[in-house]
Amino acid sequence: MNNILKYFALVVFLVGINSCSEKDILDLTPINNISVDASFSSPSLIESSINGMYNAAAIGQYNSTNINGGRGYIWGSAFVQQGDNRGEDVVNTATFYQLTYTATYNPNTANNVYYWIDGYRLINRANLVIEGVTQAVADGIITSEVGDDYIGQAKFMRAITHFELVNFFARPYNETAGASHPGVPYRETGVNTQGEIDSEILKGRNTVGEVYQKVLADLDDAEANITNTTLTKASRNAAIAFKTRVYLHMRDWDKVITEGKKVETEYALESDPGAPFLNSYNNTESIFSILQAETLNPGVNAALASQYKRRTLVCISPIIWRDLDWLVDDKRRLDDPANPASLVFTTSGRKYTNKYKDVVSYTDAAPVIRFAEILLNMAEAYARKSDLVNGLSYLNQVRDRSLADPSTQSYTGFGSASDLVGAILKERRIEFLMEGRRWSDIHRLQKDDLHPIDGIPAKVANGNPAAAAFELGTPYTGPFGVDAIPGNDFRFLWPIPQDELNSNPNIDQNPEW
Amino acid sequence: MKMTRLLLLVGMICTSLAVFGQRTITGKVVDDNGEGLIGATVIAKEAPTIGTITDFDGTYKITIPGEVTALVFSYTGFSSEELAIGNATTLDVTMTGGVYLDEMVIVGYGSQRKSDITSSISTVNGDDLRGLITPTFADQLAGRAAGVQVTTQNGILGEGPRVRIRGIASVNSGTDPLYVIDGMPVYSGDLGGYASASGLGDLNPSDIESMEVLKDGAATAIYGSRAANGVILITTKKGKEGKAVVTLNSVFGVASPVNRFDLLKTADFITISNEKRTNRGQDPWAIGNTYDTDWQDAVLNNNAFQMDHNLSISGGTDKTKYYFSTAYANQDGIAKSNSMDRISIRTNLEHKLTKWFALGGGLSISRTAYTGLNTGANSLSGNVFNAIRQLPNTPILNPDHPTGYNISENNAVVGQWDNTDPVGDNISNVAYVLEKNVFESTIQRTMANVFASADIVKGLNYRFQASVDNPNTGGFLYWDPIHGDGSGSNGRLQNSTDELLRWNIQNILNYNTIIGGKHSLGITAGTEHQKERNSNFFAVGTDLLNEFYNQNIVSNAYAIQESGGGATEVGIISYLSRVNYNYDQRYFVQASVRRDGISKLSPDNRWNSFTGFSVGWNISNESFMANMSDVVSLFKLRYSFSSVGNTEIGSYPYLGLSGASPYGSQNGIAFSQFGNDALTWETSAKSDFGIDLGLYENRFNFTFDYFKNDIDNLVFSEPVAPSLGVPFNRINKNIGKSINEGFEFGINYDVIRSSKFTWNVGANLTLMSNEIVALPNGGADIIGGSSTNTSIAPNIIIREGESMNSLYGFQYWGVNPANGNPVYIKANGTLVQGDVVTSRYYLFDEANPSVLGESSTLSAADDKVILGNTLPTYFGGLISKLTYKNLDLNMVVRFSGGNKIFNSTRRGLFNQNLNNNGTEILGRWQSPENPGDGVTPILWASSNTFLNLTSDATTRFVEDADFIKLDNLSIGYNLPSVSAKRLGIAKLRVFVQGQNLLVISKYKGLDPEMETSGVDINGTPRARVLSFGLNVGF
Repeated sequence: MNNILKYFALVVFLVGINSCSEKDILDLTPINNISVDASFSSPSLIESSINGMYNAAAIGQYNSTNINGGRGYIWGSAFVQQGDNRGEDVVNTATFYQLTYTATYNPNTANNVYYWIDGYRLINRANLVIEGVTQAVADGIITSEVGDDYIGQAKFMRAITHFELVNFFARPYNETAGASHPGVPYRETGVNTQGEIDSEILKGRNTVGEVYQKVLADLDDAEANITNTTLTKASRNAAIAFKTRVYLHMRDWDKVITEGKKVETEYALESDPGAPFLNSYNNTESIFSILQAETLNPGVNAALASQYKRRTLVCISPIIWRDLDWLVDDKRRLDDPANPASLVFTTSGRKYTNKYKDVVSYTDAAPVIRFAEILLNMAEAYARKSDLVNGLSYLNQVRDRSLADPSTQSYTGFGSASDLVGAILKERRIEFLMEGRRWSDIHRLQKDDLHPIDGIPAKVANGNPAAAAFELGTPYTGPFGVDAIPGNDFRFLWPIPQDELNSNPNIDQNPEW
Repeated sequence: MKMTRLLLLVGMICTSLAVFGQRTITGKVVDDNGEGLIGATVIAKEAPTIGTITDFDGTYKITIPGEVTALVFSYTGFSSEELAIGNATTLDVTMTGGVYLDEMVIVGYGSQRKSDITSSISTVNGDDLRGLITPTFADQLAGRAAGVQVTTQNGILGEGPRVRIRGIASVNSGTDPLYVIDGMPVYSGDLGGYASASGLGDLNPSDIESMEVLKDGAATAIYGSRAANGVILITTKKGKEGKAVVTLNSVFGVASPVNRFDLLKTADFITISNEKRTNRGQDPWAIGNTYDTDWQDAVLNNNAFQMDHNLSISGGTDKTKYYFSTAYANQDGIAKSNSMDRISIRTNLEHKLTKWFALGGGLSISRTAYTGLNTGANSLSGNVFNAIRQLPNTPILNPDHPTGYNISENNAVVGQWDNTDPVGDNISNVAYVLEKNVFESTIQRTMANVFASADIVKGLNYRFQASVDNPNTGGFLYWDPIHGDGSGSNGRLQNSTDELLRWNIQNILNYNTIIGGKHSLGITAGTEHQKERNSNFFAVGTDLLNEFYNQNIVSNAYAIQESGGGATEVGIISYLSRVNYNYDQRYFVQASVRRDGISKLSPDNRWNSFTGFSVGWNISNESFMANMSDVVSLFKLRYSFSSVGNTEIGSYPYLGLSGASPYGSQNGIAFSQFGNDALTWETSAKSDFGIDLGLYENRFNFTFDYFKNDIDNLVFSEPVAPSLGVPFNRINKNIGKSINEGFEFGINYDVIRSSKFTWNVGANLTLMSNEIVALPNGGADIIGGSSTNTSIAPNIIIREGESMNSLYGFQYWGVNPANGNPVYIKANGTLVQGDVVTSRYYLFDEANPSVLGESSTLSAADDKVILGNTLPTYFGGLISKLTYKNLDLNMVVRFSGGNKIFNSTRRGLFNQNLNNNGTEILGRWQSPENPGDGVTPILWASSNTFLNLTSDATTRFVEDADFIKLDNLSIGYNLPSVSAKRLGIAKLRVFVQGQNLLVISKYKGLDPEMETSGVDINGTPRARVLSFGLNVGF
């Protein structure tokens, strides 16, 4: 009996060991994640990889540990909020954008750091798309037509993101002859192996001129290859539209006009200036906008409608609100709670933008570029070429639709090209108010021959301005709680993030940081 | 391989014991419970060189010369016994008297006599925790064992304490010890849901018989890859032979915050707020002094009721032993909306089928329900962040608002009342939020094991054990749509399920023998297979139909729906063995080898062997010490060396992965983890030298250890230049080295030992240091340390040559007496002042303070320095246990220090927005004639980020963390047994007790233990608990 039990115990022992095989216990593969090597292995996964690239544009990661937990860096909302708060046409009322607003950032402050980090995160996804799609075409998984469209879209995203970064982290194009001063590294290799890390890290900052060249080359390729025509993904027209922006910064007026001409008949301004925002996915003038869904958006801490409307963290600055060139009865001042197309709302006497409306599910598209900008880019190019007729005509196209009575209020002529350019520049501030466009104008107009801006203009003090500060009739003359920063001050540029400097020996910080 | 090992063992069993001599006596040595005593010494009285040691079941056999008339039996902790032999051939003896000090100590996969142990193990008796009201048993390990540092970082129920055994053994991997309950490695982290739900909270502390803390390499090596952070072995109570013992413990207590913030009252608040504005040339902010509200009342409970009841029945026969307990605990937190409710049942059963074969098992079922709240350190509705910023001149309630609470017209923030501006920092009315919002976690947890134990041949035991740990957590979250966190989505409903399942199968052979009377040999060999699958899913509804829907997610009661989830699996296979040998209880050697294979690493790298080795010399058992045995009862030297591993490195850290990454509503995937299939084990080489000394029959015990942990191949997520765009800008690599080194001292002294009066004092002290030896990227600093928390990371750094996570920031000089500007010291020693008017830096000349010098900078790249280490360099405890007649008095005092804290909460109390401040701000600079405390600069509205440098640490808020605490004081009264019998019970003890009674510290925050990685950031105060209870035995 005892022996039987002993043998029984031994059998249990052996069974115990052998019932659990190494295969079941150790050869485990992820349940939540597809191997990165399989990301381009079928047409549907390739399409998903394209969407993954746009995800990086729409959401980013910011400091989240969740890969989809970002704050709209770089194209989902941050480019609007940072672009606005670097300028003087908004007032930051709370702490949220204070470091950007008061230029008290440093190489560790999150706003500028994640602009860089999430920008390059998107660029790497674009580069991996280019390489993955190229291989998939070679392997016959998708046709070259489909592949070219995808590659064109990736090049578009790569180009506009580098362009955005170079405007924040480098001096303007016209700073030196030939734009030979430091820009940002232009990344064209998808990095997913140690070897690629080792070779890419050797590449330091390209010059601003090189960055512009590469941006344009990529946009040309995008124009040639993209067949997509939907608003929320890169299209041929979006590439052209962006080129008008790039050439404007390069002060290549002829090219602005050439590019603008290519698409000027493909879009039309809505008759109501509120329409592009009331129907942000379905209107005749948006050219490229970023998709935001109720289940995936930059969230309560970043979504445009959350920050600018529900939480009222940033208001319109009395500086632009009280500008006499912005007519009192201009439709862009419409503040009627009963009219959803209103572009302004009031709380405690303060004026806020109503361009972003969905305060519950944050589904407003983030407007990256729209037709009005092409028109004003062309207007400025003509004006700077002293073609006052065309310049005036393009300016009026944009301005007239917002006037209460165009027949009496429309501009009829300017005494000089400079006056016309001045009116166009003012019109940009009004038309694109709180669309993130202000910084790139401040940036490109440094040392301008006609209307130079020296550094960052003075701003209204951080905090809630008094209701009286919004009373129309006289221009706002102060007080300015945030002093102007001269153009030669090191704070004009954002510092390269300390994280980058710590792990990249081949990149130099901007001077004096 | 496995068979070979088994055959080897079987072969050893067959080795016969060599015996020779003229006369042979056999017998059995038992204790007063009748349990055989292993390793008792039996010596021939007239021939002291002849002796033997009892076997594992207490039996002995000794061959003696004819002239010997008596045998002397001794066993550490017992009075020795001398028995005349006469004509007997069998002599049984029962050892009595003295204190049974030399108990068996649970070690990995077995147990050893305490005197045989050559590694470093601290034991905490379950009785020491009796009657304490405690969220988790682990909280109460604090101060009780050298080298073990337990920190309860806040007063939130459901958040487990931070336990560090001999420091931090990793940078990016886990730093928690392995918890093993009755042989089963259990889940100890947060178990899911929406209220904090520590995995340590499910175990009823009353069920604990003992806890063994395995500290050095030799003790932990048997746990191989999971041992780098130490191991805590928990043994639950089992039945003992004898009649049924019924015990009832009941404790009732009230908890209150140990400390509160010293906030401005309305009068000072108005002065300060308006001075912020007028200094800047702006109109006043604060108007109205009708109210003087302490908003801390909105988030803290002063008298939180807590109770704990436990009923157990245990007993057994020589064949069957049983233990059954049921317990109920209910605790209200000192944070409003925080509570815990736990009901648990545990049974342990063991039955001897035959003399050599036993079966048994244990089953524990518990249901622990937590309610929680938003405690986010920077959340607008985070309880402490919010309360300390509220305006004291505003009420909490407003009958005119539809909700009845003081909320702004558009419901966005708390109402500003008569003040001219909305409250700063966009905070909500936290009282409304706490009243409405719901955070819940309910854990249903089953822990079960079955075992079979067979004594195959004498000395050889085979044990099979299969265990399972299966916590299932249901979570529920509701955010009110009107105000607070839910207003951004018009309300939120969320339900979740976390299913965790871990099984573990062990086959263990234990062989013990004594050869030739003096050679004790113990062998342990076995296998362990473990696998876990952890999955969760959740459903979310936002944009709610109505706030009526606040108890569960209800189909179609919301406009937007979302769901999510995921699953991970981990498996480990191990082969383990340990050999320990001692010669004559004098010379000890132990070696262990464990080979682990783990699913977390690539097939090429997943197997690794971990070894442990230790030696000991018990000098007190040497013959030359015999004449000192009255004085020196124990004098042992120990040395150990081992290499162990750390596997808390994520589930699939070596693979290149993509993750779901949709664009709007379109499916997407993208690169989410950089692969490195060369990734291998993080190893920790631990060495330990120890001395154990016992004097006067172990009345005085002293333990000393020197330890050193060399951690190599640290799995580091190496920072990669962000401009390369790889996921998280990190790659998992084996780079980096660090060292923990230190000394531990422990003493235990029975000051008074008499039948009526006993007094025992124990004390322990640990001195230790940590140094980062090597870092990736050529030793580049890691700013942000190991933290991903954005409130903490900017203040710390990992730098070669420094202690891990050191504070890093600017040096503060003080206030410019001429203009109130803050003045800092640049790295090169020059002074710069931050001009509040322009937010720019200018040189500061002490001799000429009224002049703004040349324009300068305070550079984050160049001017930051190490501001202090965040890891305590010394800590320890003092425990006094005193009984006098029927009274007992117990006390635990704990101390720690040598570390610095960056008090970020205190910085928040200098907020320059329209928010309340701490009273320290009254010392601000007002004018050259009235320069204030010299530390607090001029007030300047809305300049928080610049004036207080909210993105950087500065020495202005760096403080010493040293403290002494009276952790625990209890007074009990035992009813005399005569009286008890009259009541029909066996015994009755009543007691009153205070926990966390007194803190002595210069720290200006609430409590110097409320730090995470050296940063104090808006934690809920810890709790002080006063309780009353009784223990009844039937």
